[in-house]
Amino acid sequence: MQQEYVLPPEPVSNEAIAKRLTDAARAEIHSGRLQKKNFVWLELTGCSGNIISMMNGTNPDLEYAITSMVNLVYSNSLMAAEGEKAIEKLMEALQGEFILAVEGAVALRNNGLYHVIGNWQGQPLTALQAAKMLGERASHVIAVGACATHGGPSAAKPNPAQCVGLQSVLDRKVIQLPGCPCHPDWFLGTLAHLLMYGEPEMDNLNRPLMFYSTSLHDRCPRKHFFDKGIFAKTLGEPTCLFKLGCRGPVTRIDCPTRLWNGYVSWPIEASTCIGCSQFGFPDQMAPFVVYDITRE
Amino acid sequence: MNQREYLLRQAELIFSELNYLIRLLYHTEDYYQKNLLLNQVWNKISQLQFIHQLIVYHLPPIPALVPAPPVPTVPIQPMQPEIPRAIPPNVFTRDQLARFNGKNGNPAYVAVNGMVYDVTNHKGWSAATHFGLTAGKDLTKEFASCHAGQQWILGTLIPVGRLV
Repeated sequence: MQQEYVLPPEPVSNEAIAKRLTDAARAEIHSGRLQKKNFVWLELTGCSGNIISMMNGTNPDLEYAITSMVNLVYSNSLMAAEGEKAIEKLMEALQGEFILAVEGAVALRNNGLYHVIGNWQGQPLTALQAAKMLGERASHVIAVGACATHGGPSAAKPNPAQCVGLQSVLDRKVIQLPGCPCHPDWFLGTLAHLLMYGEPEMDNLNRPLMFYSTSLHDRCPRKHFFDKGIFAKTLGEPTCLFKLGCRGPVTRIDCPTRLWNGYVSWPIEASTCIGCSQFGFPDQMAPFVVYDITRE
Repeated sequence: MNQREYLLRQAELIFSELNYLIRLLYHTEDYYQKNLLLNQVWNKISQLQFIHQLIVYHLPPIPALVPAPPVPTVPIQPMQPEIPRAIPPNVFTRDQLARFNGKNGNPAYVAVNGMVYDVTNHKGWSAATHFGLTAGKDLTKEFASCHAGQQWILGTLIPVGRLV
């Protein structure tokens, strides 16, 4: 694929990149080539951590995203309507074209009754029903966060509600954005790409390559210590945290360059990477920190 | 030239190499060539980062950077093992293998297809665990289920003996 590189002395900061994209989007909307699409944020079995993470977005922020980028039809955390009135909005959305984002896993136990997200016409509406009904009709489906992509903490042992990832109940392409939580940029960036250019380039697990292409370890500021075999024995040391259980080498994500909380810091600044953006988190990423370590 | 001066001199050299690479990037049309150059820029930047951290944290022993000629140190990674790839004559039973679980200062060994490999410093095996698997075991089945058709992975590991 031919790509256009932006090189110094052009600014390549997060803000500058966001500004270039925003300007391009404005021009598209102005020319009438781009129209706002309906958008449904479905929250299933999880902790609402992803919608809270989205509120931390800066380029753009969530308010801009849900007012100017898309037309937010349903989000149980953000909408004013409640009860059946809220579910009514969800059913209305089914009639037209919409993009679906799902956070949280799908609870399968007792035919989905372990998680009821609302009532519709006097009947309980389970997360399983909602996931299938909306997932089958959406123009694009984005699974946001660890639970929606592969079960995550909701599916961790012993998994009493028999939670699974969204892909397990849907027979269609689901864009996967693993992370616990998902970084606002990973989601908003994917959404913006969908709106402006269609589906982003993805790997064989349907993760967008623009965020999930490179292992965290390869861009870690502590990598040279790994290469030279200088390992930390406690969390406070500035050297490589590999021996303490860092999952950076098996986690493909752009945390080292993107940073978190308004681009100020990221987990390796204080402790090991726990592999939250890798499939299999948290069970397969355990132990997070160990002191009973191998020799150098 | 003391240690600090040496590091600053190295940093200066890297800066000029970076400038050169950026100029080169502007004049390269080929996509793959560009990728290669970007990769080199990335390497240079991580070297800079390393030097910067050495200066900031003043690590007492800097064995790699004290000698004057900038010879790269032998990597601890098993990517290009110095030793010839002949299999050491060691033989492990399952019980013996179980001792090499990466705990209490023991190395981390795993067996695949009758061969025992050292994964103590393999980057995918931090804390002697890999996607929920622990060291000191015969992982032939697990390897086959996750890395089918990726036999080359075994070639990058350090063999330490055979499993009987």
